[in-house]
Amino acid sequence: MKIVHAGFAVAFASFAFGACAQAQDAPKGDAAKGKQLFLADGCSYCHGTVGQGGGGRGPGLRIAQQPIPFAAFINQLRQPANEMPPYVEAVLSEQDVADIFAYIQALPPPPDLKSIGILAN
Amino acid sequence: MPKKDVPNEKRRRFLKGATFAGAAALAVPRGAAAQAPARNPVPLPNRVAETAPPAALEPLTLGKSGSDFMVDVIKSLGFEYMAANPASSFRGLHESLINYGGNKSPEFLTCSHEEISVAMGHGYFKIEGKPLCVFAHGAVGLQHATMALYNAWCDRVPVYMVIGNILDATMRRPGVEWNHTVQDAAAIVRDYTKWDDYPASLQHYAESSVRAYKIMMTPPHGSVVIVADATMQEDPIPENAKLRIPKLPQVALPQGDSAAVAETARLLVNAESPVIIADRYARTPTASKHLVALAEVLQCAIVDTSGRLNMPSRHPLNQSSRARGHVAQADLILGLEMSDFWNSLNSFKDGIHRTSRHIAKVNARTISIGCGDLYTKSNYQDFQRYADIDLAIAADAEATMPELIEAVKKLVNGEQKAAYEARGKKLAANHHADFERSRFDATFGWDDSPITTARLCAELWAQIRNEDWSLASPTSQVSYWPQRLWTMDKPYQFIGDGGGMGIGYAASASVGAALANRSHGRLTVALQPDGDLLMTIGVLWTAAHHKIPILSVMHNNRGYHQELMHVQRMADRHMRGIDRAHIGTTLRDPPIDYAKIAQGMGIVGIGPITDPKDLAPALKQGIALVKAGEPVLVDVVTQGR
Repeated sequence: MKIVHAGFAVAFASFAFGACAQAQDAPKGDAAKGKQLFLADGCSYCHGTVGQGGGGRGPGLRIAQQPIPFAAFINQLRQPANEMPPYVEAVLSEQDVADIFAYIQALPPPPDLKSIGILAN
Repeated sequence: MPKKDVPNEKRRRFLKGATFAGAAALAVPRGAAAQAPARNPVPLPNRVAETAPPAALEPLTLGKSGSDFMVDVIKSLGFEYMAANPASSFRGLHESLINYGGNKSPEFLTCSHEEISVAMGHGYFKIEGKPLCVFAHGAVGLQHATMALYNAWCDRVPVYMVIGNILDATMRRPGVEWNHTVQDAAAIVRDYTKWDDYPASLQHYAESSVRAYKIMMTPPHGSVVIVADATMQEDPIPENAKLRIPKLPQVALPQGDSAAVAETARLLVNAESPVIIADRYARTPTASKHLVALAEVLQCAIVDTSGRLNMPSRHPLNQSSRARGHVAQADLILGLEMSDFWNSLNSFKDGIHRTSRHIAKVNARTISIGCGDLYTKSNYQDFQRYADIDLAIAADAEATMPELIEAVKKLVNGEQKAAYEARGKKLAANHHADFERSRFDATFGWDDSPITTARLCAELWAQIRNEDWSLASPTSQVSYWPQRLWTMDKPYQFIGDGGGMGIGYAASASVGAALANRSHGRLTVALQPDGDLLMTIGVLWTAAHHKIPILSVMHNNRGYHQELMHVQRMADRHMRGIDRAHIGTTLRDPPIDYAKIAQGMGIVGIGPITDPKDLAPALKQGIALVKAGEPVLVDVVTQGR
């Protein structure tokens, strides 16, 4: 793996942290607006349009179907623990963050692996 | 050469003697001929010269010139192909190659840009293990070739350049020939080629040409440049010339010092958590087998950086997805042909304050085996940051591997074997878990549009997995999904990246690789980034013209995505929002129709594919055509990474 390409992968790894998460600690968000922001504000550049991740060789950038508490989510945006670019309040308001969070929470689960023949081992 | 074109010997000797005087007689009034001989006379307005009948002794033809001998020399080196954009400074060589040389061994490959010629040579070598010859103008042609030569340099791949030039100022035609002449022609690429020369005679040309070949093929491989002076190309071969082509030796590869290899074996055998990192290690099909053999004796972790296909992707000891974790835990780290050992031992933070951290254990022993220590230059910084290495063995790692394996085998005892087996089982479980995780991760966004890179690669794999296939493009821009999902176990199935990361490599190198694969009957596929193709798009025509079968599947994310993310980083750092980051980084308005471009270049163009359900039929159609000998491009609109 050439790290010059993998830098972003490392950058967002901590998004995948966090176990015990509940969406109910989040302010009410608008998933439709969140989708627009997610696509327009660059989240999708590294995390893909439906949070599937990308950019590196190992896991780390996928944020779909990851149990992330809102507090950890916004904290990571404001003060990234790694190389992820910071999103300050002036750029992304708390409501914007809540909308994006709602979008991620609302993403449907992916199709069952067993239903995709070409991914069979 | 056909007989009808060969003047008889008597006339040829006569012409050789008459060339200069005759040319001068045509160009200037008779009285001035002795003072101003000119080989390529200036067409000055001169009514006498224009209206008088041609001088009786004016030589208009000659049988054999220096360029014929140069072609003999080039043929002696065994090139199959010579790639070039035509240029007047090697017109003599060009004509000799296609007529005197019969346009065979080497065959002329017509390229629309010298960057294409060289990058084709780059890809060709990594499949075939043999260099491509490239002709170019000494000035503007070599200027075009520079970036591709730099990529090849960084990737330790040799390309054999022959460039035209006219050193003697009195021999140059006015105007463009002066613009296209350079005093020290190879200077522009000397920082990133291994050797060059400007021979002053045909015998000198022969000796330097063979010397250049020997130098380029001695590891570390590197490109060479031979300047073929145009006057020497076009002048008759001197009558008394006793020309001979020197012997090309078999090159024995540099192996590691025996004591150092023995010490490496001892450290490997006694290490609790050894890790072997392989970068540009594999040159031949045996390299991977040797690495597997060493790994299986030791049951240790192998990290393949994807500089080449060093370790089969599905081998249980392949731990490339966990590279950092293994390095952090290791008590011994062995690097094979590392282009950047420092980067494997450290992490680097791209923040306002750029910082780095050593991730390997402080007391971990580090050993390198590689040719990088045998030849380094100063100006361009591709040698990367200095790494703390305990033992640096300056040698070809592949050539050193058999001795290392034997030394390790001799040292391993029964107790160690049991410990190794336990270690290997854990690693195999890791590998299995990583593969399962990759399959699961690939399902996310499965039906999304733009199409995910995981879906793109999974669909392509489904179509080629039962073929004898070769992936000829880098995989970093598609998130290494081929390494994560495909079974890669033959060296030609993956050939690494462009070395210097200069954009424009993938399109041309993959066609060069496909050219090499053609004679082996392999199916060549490439995951072709859009920005890369735009740099050297003329290579599509070369593929069409020379009937080089390749399935080029576009990773068309409609932008320079890496740069988009860099601008995003800067905008976020400056708290300005990223709504303008697309400026200068995207190719969306208007969207580019690559299928139409391909069609315009004479190859089959399919797409754009935006619905993932359309992918399989398009790929199937494309592969059928490629197997019939056609180059095909399938345009797929994809996500960024």
